[in-house]
Amino acid sequence: MSKMPMKAVTLGARGQSRSEFKDKEKPAQIRGSNIVAAKAVADVIKTSLGPRGMDKMIQDGKGEVTITNDGATILKQMKVLHPAAKMLVELSQAQDAEAGDGTTSVVILAGSMLETSQKLLSKGFHPATISDSLLHFSSKAVEVLESMAIPVDLSDNLSLLKSANTSLNSKVVHEHSGMLAPMAVDAILKIVDPNQDKNVDLKDIRIIKKLGETVEDSQLVDGIVFTQKTQGYGGPNKVEKVKIGLIQFCISPPKTDMDNTVLIRDYAAMDRVLREERQYILNITKKIKAAGCNVLLIQKSILRDAVSDLALHLLAKQKIMVIKDIEREDIEFVCKTLGCRPVASLDHFTPESMGTAELAEEIQAGTSKLVKVTGVQNPGRTVSILLRGSNRQVLEEADRSLHDALCVIRCLVKKRFLIPGGGAPEAELSVKLTQHAHTLKGMDAYCFRAFAESLEVIPGILAENAGLSPISTVTELRNRHARGETHAGINVRKGSISNIIDENVLQPLLVSTSAITLSAECVRSILKIDDIVNVIR
Amino acid sequence: MAVALNPVQIMKTEAEEERSETARLSSFIGAIAVGDLVRSTLGPRGMDKILVAMGRSEGQIEVTNDGATILRNIGVDNPAAKILVDISKTQDDEVGDGTTSVVVLASELLREAEKLVSMRLHPQTIISGYRRATDVAREALENSAEDNSANPAKFREDLFKIAKTTLSSKILAQHKEFFSNLAVDAVLRLKGSGNLDAIQIIKKQGGTLGDSFLDEGFILEKKIGVNQPKRIENAKLLVANTPMDTDKIKVFGSKISVESTAKVAELELAEKEKMKAKVQKILKHDINVFINRQLIYNYPEQLFADAGVMAIEHADFDGIERLALVTGGEIVSTFDNPDLVKLGRCDLIEECIIGEDRMIRLSGVALGEACTIVLRGATNQILEEAERSMHDALCVLTQTVKETRTVFGGGCSETLMARAVMEAAVLIPGKEALAMDAFARALLMIPTIIADNAGYDSAQLVAELRAAHAEGKSTVGLDMDGAAVNCMNLVGITESFKVKRQVLMSASEAAEMILRVDDIIKSAPRKRTADQGQC
Repeated sequence: MSKMPMKAVTLGARGQSRSEFKDKEKPAQIRGSNIVAAKAVADVIKTSLGPRGMDKMIQDGKGEVTITNDGATILKQMKVLHPAAKMLVELSQAQDAEAGDGTTSVVILAGSMLETSQKLLSKGFHPATISDSLLHFSSKAVEVLESMAIPVDLSDNLSLLKSANTSLNSKVVHEHSGMLAPMAVDAILKIVDPNQDKNVDLKDIRIIKKLGETVEDSQLVDGIVFTQKTQGYGGPNKVEKVKIGLIQFCISPPKTDMDNTVLIRDYAAMDRVLREERQYILNITKKIKAAGCNVLLIQKSILRDAVSDLALHLLAKQKIMVIKDIEREDIEFVCKTLGCRPVASLDHFTPESMGTAELAEEIQAGTSKLVKVTGVQNPGRTVSILLRGSNRQVLEEADRSLHDALCVIRCLVKKRFLIPGGGAPEAELSVKLTQHAHTLKGMDAYCFRAFAESLEVIPGILAENAGLSPISTVTELRNRHARGETHAGINVRKGSISNIIDENVLQPLLVSTSAITLSAECVRSILKIDDIVNVIR
Repeated sequence: MAVALNPVQIMKTEAEEERSETARLSSFIGAIAVGDLVRSTLGPRGMDKILVAMGRSEGQIEVTNDGATILRNIGVDNPAAKILVDISKTQDDEVGDGTTSVVVLASELLREAEKLVSMRLHPQTIISGYRRATDVAREALENSAEDNSANPAKFREDLFKIAKTTLSSKILAQHKEFFSNLAVDAVLRLKGSGNLDAIQIIKKQGGTLGDSFLDEGFILEKKIGVNQPKRIENAKLLVANTPMDTDKIKVFGSKISVESTAKVAELELAEKEKMKAKVQKILKHDINVFINRQLIYNYPEQLFADAGVMAIEHADFDGIERLALVTGGEIVSTFDNPDLVKLGRCDLIEECIIGEDRMIRLSGVALGEACTIVLRGATNQILEEAERSMHDALCVLTQTVKETRTVFGGGCSETLMARAVMEAAVLIPGKEALAMDAFARALLMIPTIIADNAGYDSAQLVAELRAAHAEGKSTVGLDMDGAAVNCMNLVGITESFKVKRQVLMSASEAAEMILRVDDIIKSAPRKRTADQGQC
């Protein structure tokens, strides 16, 4: 995109030759350059598809290194410049938001469809015709996918596990999938009401990353984890039969909103001020103790110390565990989890406003400490996951993989259907839609057949990444599907074609349908563009 | 004398002047280039443009089909081109749609004029011919307009068709039936008031365009305070703009001096008491919902929670003014006279989840016209473009509610006008007839471009169209779903009469204005350092 020919309209304005609009190119050229750029993006992440896909190492401007297999992350880090390439990056992000998984395949699909479109364009098809046909194609594809879907019940733990496993298989952390998959399933099942909820708020799952140990030591915490350590010297770091209070006021010398000065005229007065200050804080701590609180959470305060050293000392003496610097945004989550109420003034600090739990203890995690509260009475629908990893890259990747797995389960809550993985849906679509193309006529039929063929890119790349021969694998797959084996897919582990359901490779229907519809929508909008205009804003 | 031999200089050295032919040429080229830029976006199969931002927000992209948006963003230096950009802007403000058509028509008129000028026709002759043609065309348009406002069911259908026609050239084309219904419902709720403020458009990334919906209430993108009721029926709202931390003394440097910590503690308590008193005053209004533009701090939040009042903080300015409008309340800042304050009312306030976010929905608000359109879409660009399209549709519909006449789209009205102009031209002895013929040709360019953009054989289609009109089938237009001419009444392609008239009038006015120019004077630029923002 660096060179765009200036349009040769000289208007003689002030001797400068300036055109009406900055730059302009002929529509066909623009379309060609858009397609080339978008295809280049797809080619970059092609190799990371599937269980045997490779990872990418990306170094950003600051020298930070990310190693990942997640399409959306790779593309986000790449910082592409070309506007059409940018649209593909946004496409993978849209898939990330909608389904959470399949971010690589959606871009590869779009790339393949664009390649097909380019061929059609060179044959003289009008972009609008191709675009219309693509719309028709995607709605038909969704129909076929829905017809091959297997309904799933949220109580069917095994199916959920299988689909979480499929998503985790392609990641760095796949050797831990045996542990991460159940974690994801449990976490989602804990926060949804299977009969009512049609959606899951992933904000109710808090993932805490701590460097140290290995991914295997990650755990699902039934309760809450605070990354802050306990405050005060000599205070307890393990409390049983916990009464938790959450305060939003400060335990430090009083301060008015207006500026104030304390005038001290003599030594005796100074002594008195000190004594009064101590008395004031002691008074507060006593009241807190009197209410029966033994774990105290304090909201972060900007204007003054939320809790003074003296207060910490006094609280420690009274055997109250103190955790400070709770962010205001987190208050809602904490309250929901612990079943407590935030208290904004001392008068409101009553036993009713406190939450009850079995155990609160401080644990060592790597170089820092965490506080874990478990066995909460009447807990809310929230859950915390403590992720561990031996280095930062693994930890980040584990986080992304777990997010993908959570999204997969969320998809199943949204739309309770599963379809086989391993390239089976794409192969099936390709065969079924080619058949359907025979019933159409005119340009539509031609486009339809071309697009049906373009879907085979997914099994092709899967096979290629697994070290199989793409041509023979794809043709065999096509053959099996033509014979009616709907569930035949590429078994990457054994390097053959087999019924993929027996191999437990399952994925949510929503991932596939949204991949098809989103990529079709994106390709259509790229096809519709006939000009790139630089504007001043 | 030596002085007399020098060329006479009237203007400052840096000022420039272009005269007669050169001036005219530069105007023609500029205007035609702008027309060419946007002509490919015209019609249901029109193409889109990527706008790449330079300067401050470098690299941001926007994909759009809206003529006004494209023209607003390109920097133009040519005076004639600027006039076209301006008429597109005016069209956008005035009627909201037809922003591309107006520019294309004006540039086609100038293209024809250029030919006539090269045939040695005087510009004034062309202008008077164009004027006469405009009158004829407008009359023809007015005669063809239909008015269905007397019959509500039919009028609704008219509106629906207009919305569909407007949307069919936009990104929402895929779901145009759905969105047309949305837009018509929203506009009919306004009951003719045309107050688009009462229609709120919320964009939420995620999902597809098909997941968008019309909500009968009003949606606020805020959170309810902790521990407060999440659902209130028969809500009485107090909309306020008041600080909820402390009422500070505004005198600069005011300060408290005390002698002991106990006194400070007392003062702190006093401040708290003051806040409590303020909350009590607010509660005296007999309300169960309190919405503040500013932050509500922890302490008052808890007091509200204790009183069972829902308190919503930090509703931004736009939100709060609209809220006051739709709930029928007023924005208050002092709370001394509870009797005089008008409270807002609504039937139900509850939390709802849209996309990933929790929001607050107010349904059954006092102003029954209010509603919210929630747009969903995969990417930000899609959402932005969807909002622009929706805005266009809403504008056209509110205009149609005011001026209820409708005409047919799909190049039908243009052909109709062209035919009328041509017929009138035959009767005119004189050079003006040539200009009128040119005007008719320019009008016919609109269907030609529509067909071209869709990839069809435009020459064939436009010839068929003209033949049909000559036979007296005056409702025939282009049907771009199949490459054919068809009766627009059957296909349901209708446009607002006001939009069409505005396109005709402002395009011919602009063309006339540019034609009259025979001298371009550029004054000497004000001296200043380089500035990257020219526009």
